[in-house]
Amino acid sequence: MPLVMIGLSHQSAPVEVRERLAFTVGGALGDALGRIKAGLPPNGECVLLSTCNRTELYVATSAREPDGDAALLLAGARGLPAGEFAPYLHELRGHRAVEHLFRVAAGLDSMILGEPDIVRQVKAAYTEASDVGATGPTLNPLFHRALFVAKRARTETALGRGAFSVGHAAAEMAQSIFGSLSGRSVLLLGAGKMSEATARHLAASGARSVLVANRTFDRAARLAEALNGRAVHYDEFPAQLERADIVIASTAAPHTVVHRPMVESVLHARRHRPLFLIDIAVPRDIDADVGDLPDVFLYNIDDLRAVVDADQAERRQEALRAEALVREEAVAFWGRLRSQETATPLVTSVRAKMDTIRDSEMARLRQRLAHLPPEDWEAIERFSASLVNKIAHAPTRKIKDFAADERSDEKMETVRELFELDGAAAARAGEEPPP
Amino acid sequence: MTAAAITLGLTLLLYLAGAVVLGANLFLRRPVLLLAGRGLAIAGALAHTAAIGLRCVETKSAPFATPGEALSVLAWMVVLAYLVSDIFWRLHAAGPFALGLSFLLAVGAGIAPAYRGVPDPRLMGSGAVSFHIAATLAAIGAFALAFCCAALYLVEHHILKSKHGLVWLKRLPPLLTVESAAFLLVAFGFPLLTLGILAGFVANGVSAGWYANTHVLLAFAVWAIYAVYLFARLAANWPPVRTSYVLLVGLALCLLLFFVPSATHRFG
Repeated sequence: MPLVMIGLSHQSAPVEVRERLAFTVGGALGDALGRIKAGLPPNGECVLLSTCNRTELYVATSAREPDGDAALLLAGARGLPAGEFAPYLHELRGHRAVEHLFRVAAGLDSMILGEPDIVRQVKAAYTEASDVGATGPTLNPLFHRALFVAKRARTETALGRGAFSVGHAAAEMAQSIFGSLSGRSVLLLGAGKMSEATARHLAASGARSVLVANRTFDRAARLAEALNGRAVHYDEFPAQLERADIVIASTAAPHTVVHRPMVESVLHARRHRPLFLIDIAVPRDIDADVGDLPDVFLYNIDDLRAVVDADQAERRQEALRAEALVREEAVAFWGRLRSQETATPLVTSVRAKMDTIRDSEMARLRQRLAHLPPEDWEAIERFSASLVNKIAHAPTRKIKDFAADERSDEKMETVRELFELDGAAAARAGEEPPP
Repeated sequence: MTAAAITLGLTLLLYLAGAVVLGANLFLRRPVLLLAGRGLAIAGALAHTAAIGLRCVETKSAPFATPGEALSVLAWMVVLAYLVSDIFWRLHAAGPFALGLSFLLAVGAGIAPAYRGVPDPRLMGSGAVSFHIAATLAAIGAFALAFCCAALYLVEHHILKSKHGLVWLKRLPPLLTVESAAFLLVAFGFPLLTLGILAGFVANGVSAGWYANTHVLLAFAVWAIYAVYLFARLAANWPPVRTSYVLLVGLALCLLLFFVPSATHRFG
């Protein structure tokens, strides 16, 4: 069954184009899948993967050339003319489409190398397609394998390790200091988006107690509610420094708001408990010399970006190993798929041919040896069936090997000629072989 | 060559391989290396247990009756302390140190002539002397791991403060974990050391001029430095950087205690 991927990504299209062809899971995506499925032949399968960085349509049909229509189907699903996207669309077929999906799922094609969210997005896209009955014998195993490969790439290499954002880097640094963050208290100075995002990373890593201090108490209360924390009045925050383990400073103040004497005054009461100060405000909120105090670790936005960059550099090295793993998996999967799709009909034909010969020979024998008792005929039947099985065993195995071979079409034709099979009955994949 | 010596040779190989593999894991961070390193450490500890057991059978004596044997038992204690620490605190970063130190101690045990020598007659029937040595060796094993934790704390503290080499933090246990692991190891080792010293007094009695005996004075110094550490950590509110330095000095004194010649200790 031919397999085609057609779509656009952050590598081929700017955001203005990508956003026009984006589909949201649970909303537009389901409707689009319905429209695409309706445009495919009866046994056609499709999965539509739509994230902020890519929109890709995976199609498997029994038609010889489904790709000509795939671009139309993709653009049509959004009610837009295909020509508008033509310069940005990239198309991959057969083995290359398999390898591409495996790379995407592993995060190798992501804007931030190895980012983990893509696994969830691939899974969501597949689940949505599966729920509307748009997947079948080709795309089901393909997407299952893609998710498996993504897991392998993340566990067998360090591709999924390290920080992917400033918030993530802050959470990782906090874990390097405290270990588990469960039971650790976080104090947020300022109720902006950055401090919220960082606090969410810390909460995801186990931090439970969150206090929010903001000049506007209502904003602090709203953010505290969203983070399942508690709002405190802004002038109370110096007192809270005694209790906090992690402080995220992200106010809009034009000057520093946390000073050395303020922190120094709580150190004795803290009894050398580490204090991790994350200053993600620009201009900075915390005096730089606060970081010189014992048991205080002060990191500003540049320090955290350096952590992200260092992790990204490490992931780039790991990506080479992950790429090799993906290639190996793609070749193996494509081989199995072709073997299944190409070899199965041919094996069936070969077996049918042998069974036909056996049946006709048995019929002739029955006429000649009609005097034999039924128990003898049972023995002859068993013998002939066993003989056919044994003769068919080696060709069956070879046909499956041929299907994964570079010159599979040629070899399959030889098998057909060898067994004098009707060519129409045998499988013809007509797609490019794996490299 | 006896069965005990052959098994000790196998132990040496396992410790060395474990140290190398866990060291490689610190750089490469491969789960398979960590698994292999842990496996080698466990296999080494099992082989070492067998070597010590065989040695007891061969000499019909306590397993630390000669200098070589005492070194061997100390190496075994260090590895046991490491394995327990790895279970509780995931301290695999201490593996290269613990297995490397155990390897060196076991090499010392293997090449010490007295490993095949005549056992100390005092150990043939004295429970107090046996307990004195066993408890002291177990305490030093725990202190060796505490030393490693203290060194890790100082390295991590320096990285966090200087912000240089931050990628190493991902390869090391969290700062608070190594600090509390060091404390718990000392909290475990200190009572053993105290009991070991008391058992030594019980076994030998208080002889005249004990205060001029280097070994006795060093034993007191070791006891005092870990007492200071515990006091500083629990009551005096010393910063962890300072208490970590105390632990570094502590192990140096332990090694002096072990290796400085003594009139009262045949292999002390």
